[in-house]
Amino acid sequence: MRIGIVCPYAWDVPGGVSAHVHDLAESLIRMGHYVSVLAPAESELGLPDFVVSTGKPKAVRYNGSVARLSFGPVTARKVSRWIEDGKFDVLHVHEPLAPSLSVLACWAAKGPIVATWHSSMDRSRMILSLAKLAQTAMEKISARIAVSEAARSTLVHHVGGDAVVIPNGVDIATFSHAKPMSGWPGAGKALVFLGRVDESRKGLDVLMRAYPEIRKQYPDLRLLIAGPGDASDAIANLPTTDQQSVTALGMISSELKPSVLASGTIYVAPNTGGESFGIVLLEAMASGTPVVSSDLEAFSSVLNFGRSGVTFKNEDSEDLAKVIVDLLSDDFRLAQLKAKGIDRAKEFDWVVVAAKIVDVYESVRVPGMVVEPDLAGQMMGRLGRGRITPEGRSE
Amino acid sequence: MMTTQNILLLAIGCLIVWYLSHQAGRLDRLHHRIEVSELALHGQLNRRAGIVAELASVASIDPALSAVWGDAAHDVLALEDDSSASRTDTENELTQVLVATLDDDEEVDEISRDPFAAKLLGELAHAANRIQMGRRFHADAVRDCLEIRNQTLVRLFFLAGHAPMPRTIDFDDQIPAGLRDSRNL
Repeated sequence: MRIGIVCPYAWDVPGGVSAHVHDLAESLIRMGHYVSVLAPAESELGLPDFVVSTGKPKAVRYNGSVARLSFGPVTARKVSRWIEDGKFDVLHVHEPLAPSLSVLACWAAKGPIVATWHSSMDRSRMILSLAKLAQTAMEKISARIAVSEAARSTLVHHVGGDAVVIPNGVDIATFSHAKPMSGWPGAGKALVFLGRVDESRKGLDVLMRAYPEIRKQYPDLRLLIAGPGDASDAIANLPTTDQQSVTALGMISSELKPSVLASGTIYVAPNTGGESFGIVLLEAMASGTPVVSSDLEAFSSVLNFGRSGVTFKNEDSEDLAKVIVDLLSDDFRLAQLKAKGIDRAKEFDWVVVAAKIVDVYESVRVPGMVVEPDLAGQMMGRLGRGRITPEGRSE
Repeated sequence: MMTTQNILLLAIGCLIVWYLSHQAGRLDRLHHRIEVSELALHGQLNRRAGIVAELASVASIDPALSAVWGDAAHDVLALEDDSSASRTDTENELTQVLVATLDDDEEVDEISRDPFAAKLLGELAHAANRIQMGRRFHADAVRDCLEIRNQTLVRLFFLAGHAPMPRTIDFDDQIPAGLRDSRNL
């Protein structure tokens, strides 16, 4: 199958959506499909063969934060040309309500279009107004995928219609061979936290309040903190006897991530909200580390409601301390959770996830029919009642 | 000489014309989407029947099972008119045959001992999944379309032309439990 994928965010700037598109494209190529990805990129250097860049994205204030997006007439023309040259069997756009390449591609194409919704944030007004503006483009989407139940309900409430839920994938092989960093977790056992240190949603304070309590039972326990931000304040607030036992790595590379996750006896995810999935939980499980997380809906469902990991009451440090103390004393349970976690993570392997996405493609495409440029979808075409023939168009 | 009243009337007139053409454009696109998703769904239905017919001819399948599968599959493959009412019944029958024969993990495991049959069962699971999604996506498109076609202005100005009223495609599309469990769907 010839598949055209559109990523609205810069290819070479780390982010959830571009990482998803990257892994999906590679999985599809491994399955034997032809894939072309259209994405903005800060630099043309080092782009994989399958990526077509639309140039540097523009930094604009959108939806309360600065986003790097691509739009404008020059970009729109590049999108049309890519669609015309691609002769795709299916066009797969990501995050179609971001004012960037995806919505432009919907506008400019006609044929089987699949869209994936990633965001679950309740940005009701913004999404609603944009959904109205982009209605003609949205109506061309034949099949809709949401990466989580939360993303699906955002879509159902604010845009209408339904979507199939296909979660994010994890590249299991990268994590299943992970070796812990040397000396970790050590005889005294260790906890691992990964996430932005200075973002309260990630819940480091919840863990830091529980930590001294746990150390009372396990005086040799250590804590490994990895993630961007300065952890020194958080460490300084601990009782002096506990401070020495904390190691803060700062921001880590993605190459180091598997071994950081493998370095703990337990991976702790004390996030307090705003999580739509929980990919890092699956990564920890794939690397063989049992997970303790807050009982956010998304996390509970990733942990298969207690079967593949343990949850504690969100924002409740006392409960967290109790859960971890119980678990550290039970080596049998830890070994069991390790095995169950690995099995659970395998269900989200990209091989499995990409096959499900191909099923979506096959459910709306017709062999022999390709995605064509739709001039009626473009501004000038719309004004002309959508009756412009290819011969009659002017650039 | 243009009076304010005339200008206002002209503006309202332009607005109505623009609105009507906008709605007609939407209808056009939705009809196209419905058509494509219907073709895709029929393609997958025929694919499912083709896989079942092939399964029926696998040597390791017992003759009774083979007869039941072959019969239901060939009924579907013999359908000529894609939109005929008999399609619903025929597809229902195939689904029910599959549910009756592949509902049990143990039986599915037994059939899967033959690697060729196992491969076909895997394809069948994916086809069943595609059919279920395809029917949902088709119904989504029909709903979007009906919403516009039922608007008073759209009906008054006959914007849909002679296009028939779109209808959802109804049949039993459940996936046999034995296929769902073993195929990670």
